Amino acid sequence: MQFVQVLGRTTDGREKLFMALYKSAFPTVARYVCKMGGTFDEAKDIFQDALVIYYEKAAAGAVKLNTSEKAYLLGISKHLWLHRFKQNTLQASLDGIDLSDETQEDNYSESRLMHFLEMAGAKCMQLLRSFYYDQLPLGEAAKLFGFSGVRSATVQKYKCLEKVRETIKQKSLTYEDFLS
Amino acid sequence: MRTSLAETEQIEAHLLQQTSPGDALVFEATLLLDDELADKLHWQKATYSMIKLYGRKQLRQEIEAAHQTLFNTDKHKSFSEKIRQIFRKR
Repeated sequence: MQFVQVLGRTTDGREKLFMALYKSAFPTVARYVCKMGGTFDEAKDIFQDALVIYYEKAAAGAVKLNTSEKAYLLGISKHLWLHRFKQNTLQASLDGIDLSDETQEDNYSESRLMHFLEMAGAKCMQLLRSFYYDQLPLGEAAKLFGFSGVRSATVQKYKCLEKVRETIKQKSLTYEDFLS
Repeated sequence: MRTSLAETEQIEAHLLQQTSPGDALVFEATLLLDDELADKLHWQKATYSMIKLYGRKQLRQEIEAAHQTLFNTDKHKSFSEKIRQIFRKR
């Protein structure tokens, strides 16, 4: 699990990490999904969701170091498969009423805002992602983004946070159903 | 650090529950009296949610890129064949 904390820091490192995890764990997950009657695309979806969960837990230091990546990913994948299987059964019993479109409608403002932040605030969003999502220690983030030290990285972090906070507030007035 | 940045830092400590119980009480009392601070707190909370969504979206794109490399390049052909074989057997 220290794997994520070492490789997960940079885009290149993460690419290596995901390729390695794919090679070690995906065959087992694919065999499991196939055995349960699933398709290649379903195995892919399940496995990618499992990778996201694994990454977030490992970045937060919430995974035991002695668990193997492969066993952990297989465990989450099985759980996700069984959960999805139950959901499908439930949806099938609702006479073809699909609730997924409604959820998309709800997130419309959110995705417009996301799109805006990706375009106009990419630099700050990347920095904030490293701090809060990848949970990089300040010293490493300072190196990665070329700051002179921890202090200037901290100042920049809060400046970005204020900038994005203001953008979200302003945009929310336009997208009135966002976070109402 | 600029006053506003110090305030943003304080809001963060409160939202991420990194303050001592005493400081938390003082902060909550200030919140009741200061509408502007309460407003900032509200939007800062929304900001952390957006950062998480953004991070997750980017991560998914990185995972998909790794998937495409593994399944669409000659270098990894033996691996992709091994997987396709599993689904062909049925």
